[in-house]
Amino acid sequence: MNNPFRKDLESRSRPEACTVVIFGATGDLTHRKLIPALYNLQVEGALPAGVKIIGFARREKSDEEFRSGLEEVNKKVSRSGHDDSIWADYAENIHYHQSEFQDASGYKRLAERLDEIDRERGGNGHRLFYIASAPEYFDDILENLKEAGINRNKKGFWSRVIVEKPFGTDLPTAKHLNQVVNKTFRERDTYRIDHYLGKETAQNIMVLRFANAIFEPLWNNRCIEQIQITCSENLGMEGGRGAYYDSAGAMRDMVQNHLLQLLSLVAMEPPTDLSADGVRDEKVKVLRSLRQWDTPELVADNVVRAQYIAGHVDGENVVGYREEDRVDPESMTESYVALRVLVDTWRWSGVPFYVRMGKQLPKKATEISIHFKEPPTVLFNALSGGVPGGNVLVIRIQPDEGISLRMVSKIPGSSLRMEPVKMDFHYATSFGKGSPEAYERLLLDSMAGDATLFARRDEVEEAWKFIDHIHHAWHQSKLPPVMSDYVAGTWGPKEADDLLGKNGHKWRRL
Amino acid sequence: MSDYADNDYAMALGKEVAIADVDKELRLLWEEDKASTNASLINLAVYSEQKGAIIKNSERVQIITREHACRAILIGIDRNNPDASIRAWITAHCHLSHGRKSVCCEQIAFQLTGKSTGRLRNTVFSHLNSDLPLVFWWQGELSSLFSERLYSLIDRFIFDSSEWANPLESYGCIGEAMQSEQSLLPMDIEWTRSSQIRMAVAGLFDDPMAANALQHMNELRVVVHPKHRMAGLQLVAWVIQRTGWKQSKELPLGSDNGDIYHYETTEGSDVVVTIVTDPLSAPVGIMEFKSANCEVRVTRDAGSPYIRQELHAGSHQIERCTPSNSDDSADLVMNQLSRGGNNSLYRAVMPDFLELLGGELGCGCEVEDV
Repeated sequence: MNNPFRKDLESRSRPEACTVVIFGATGDLTHRKLIPALYNLQVEGALPAGVKIIGFARREKSDEEFRSGLEEVNKKVSRSGHDDSIWADYAENIHYHQSEFQDASGYKRLAERLDEIDRERGGNGHRLFYIASAPEYFDDILENLKEAGINRNKKGFWSRVIVEKPFGTDLPTAKHLNQVVNKTFRERDTYRIDHYLGKETAQNIMVLRFANAIFEPLWNNRCIEQIQITCSENLGMEGGRGAYYDSAGAMRDMVQNHLLQLLSLVAMEPPTDLSADGVRDEKVKVLRSLRQWDTPELVADNVVRAQYIAGHVDGENVVGYREEDRVDPESMTESYVALRVLVDTWRWSGVPFYVRMGKQLPKKATEISIHFKEPPTVLFNALSGGVPGGNVLVIRIQPDEGISLRMVSKIPGSSLRMEPVKMDFHYATSFGKGSPEAYERLLLDSMAGDATLFARRDEVEEAWKFIDHIHHAWHQSKLPPVMSDYVAGTWGPKEADDLLGKNGHKWRRL
Repeated sequence: MSDYADNDYAMALGKEVAIADVDKELRLLWEEDKASTNASLINLAVYSEQKGAIIKNSERVQIITREHACRAILIGIDRNNPDASIRAWITAHCHLSHGRKSVCCEQIAFQLTGKSTGRLRNTVFSHLNSDLPLVFWWQGELSSLFSERLYSLIDRFIFDSSEWANPLESYGCIGEAMQSEQSLLPMDIEWTRSSQIRMAVAGLFDDPMAANALQHMNELRVVVHPKHRMAGLQLVAWVIQRTGWKQSKELPLGSDNGDIYHYETTEGSDVVVTIVTDPLSAPVGIMEFKSANCEVRVTRDAGSPYIRQELHAGSHQIERCTPSNSDDSADLVMNQLSRGGNNSLYRAVMPDFLELLGGELGCGCEVEDV
């Protein structure tokens, strides 16, 4: 139904009132991210009136107990603080639905409950299913939703599903998950959430590239020497994370999804339009163009894996990866990975993309740095010592979101001395107002039917295809590439430096 | 200026400097404090002809710079004073950004007396930060200084139509300026006052039952504070512009405490539209739609930080509260600056609004050299 009052009120697609069903409602994601995100949307006046939330989980709880637990966490984590009056109204629309994920009768009761809500609305209503449970329940939840018939779009009303990562653990499991999802929901109603894409700075990559005329002419192998994507964390396996992490590793946990998504935004061609498929068509072309490291030798030459050993981070002693709680003492899971990625397109031929992710590194930072070629060896570059450092454009994703550009300048004085200087833009400095949480934007987009910032099936599968070759070489080949180590609190193993050194490159110092 | 001691100016505006030394003194200010970051995304000029307003405006800029890094240029002018003079002060407003970095914005304050005769342009605007847009906040009635020579320098022009004694004439001047300078973006604080109300109304009409009932409404009632009749008219203009409702009787049918209009919806329902003024109301206190089966109501009590949204359609009921705009003008300007964009909705609504306002538009201002 058309709402004329929305036109021109906001420069975004219009979210529609719906019932949000969250599977895994007693989990951390629901408490710390989803409920506070929806609350903040209500505070901003952006949440459509009439949105109802049903938490679906196994534990016995009343609505009141559920709300009270959510309120307690919201008070601690909500970006905009906690207002009792607004919470009271918001919480009235939150309900709890107890059921095992495998129990078909629980879904029948859910269907009745949804119908009841729809009747109150005067007929039918939109439905958004958010699968925030552990991945082993994805199949059961999707199949039971289909069995209960609540996956179907009713005339003029949609049913959509949001799936949290991991989208499988390799290509076959991702394909299986996609098949199960697509048996229950159409691809256009499927929203695979990658919260990195909801971050302001990730969204700003496209704006930076395509709303500024100065960058795009330089954005190619004629002007760019190399690109680095770094995600460093100064944490280990705190909070019992070891069990999950040891089954995933840096490559599956971060590279397959977040970092390859960032890479595709940096490397994609300009889309024909800003529609979801317009953008995603270009991103998937990048993933399809990744040169495959499909032999153990190629993997050894282009990928470094490592685990941290005991060291110091932020002045604290930390144990090695294999000594961490819930980690196998003989684990062969990488806590650090560095890759040389080649994108075989006309634009990027010969430009290496270096991607690294590691735990227990010196600081927390995610950034993309574009390293431009040095000027010709004439004039200043012909002088002794040459030009000190090329131009580098840095897009800081988190924390301290912003953009900086390094250039060379003359030091004042009678002699000719040059030093690199930095032009720096900080979101927090220029825009005092805090950015919304990624989940706020993504939840609103899913209610509005805008899938631009969500991963499409083919993107996920292409990313797994690339990752699977590497995993195969690591875990299934007769001569697997070595597992290196690095001291916790350092920037990774020497082998990672050598990976770039072979091409005369160095990791950017963060 | 005689109402204020020099000390008041120094306390509020910082260090008094010679006009010729403003840039040099600003540089010194930053050299003395290496720990702070100088941030600026816009030039924000705040202009007032009211005595002492420059001091209050410095406080307002202190608030605005929390979210909008700018170079602020405060301009106070006493045009009735026979002596021509100009004084300048510099200071910086600093805030801790995310609890870490001290982010500061420069402020230059100019107090002029006497006729402008070009001094405003020559002195004040030579201190703009180059390449950054100029947002000009004009306080009070438009005067003869609002001329092409001034507005041709401006990117966004902020004013508050609730402060105007003769809105028709002032809107006429704004209209002429917009025709002359296509890139000039007008931003009416009165329009921003109702932004959360509009959001709340739009939010309720997302509901299919409310949306279905929209073209079957019989009544639209808006209650405003007497100072904010413009906001009421703008809200009604917004509704008729968005819904396509047509005027069905002669306009306007005014009464002592409000305005009454008659419209016909696209489905043929007659709608009585009333704008009621109430001295106890918030700037916009109530916006209420009624049909036989559906009531949509957005209300705000005077001074309340909340807006109440209500939808009643048989057994289908929605009631919730959302935060409201603050009534403070600095907060409203911050809100406008946050929105950015080209204010297309306001521009679209203007013709209907001016029709509701009635009468012939015309800029009667005498023009003076700025």
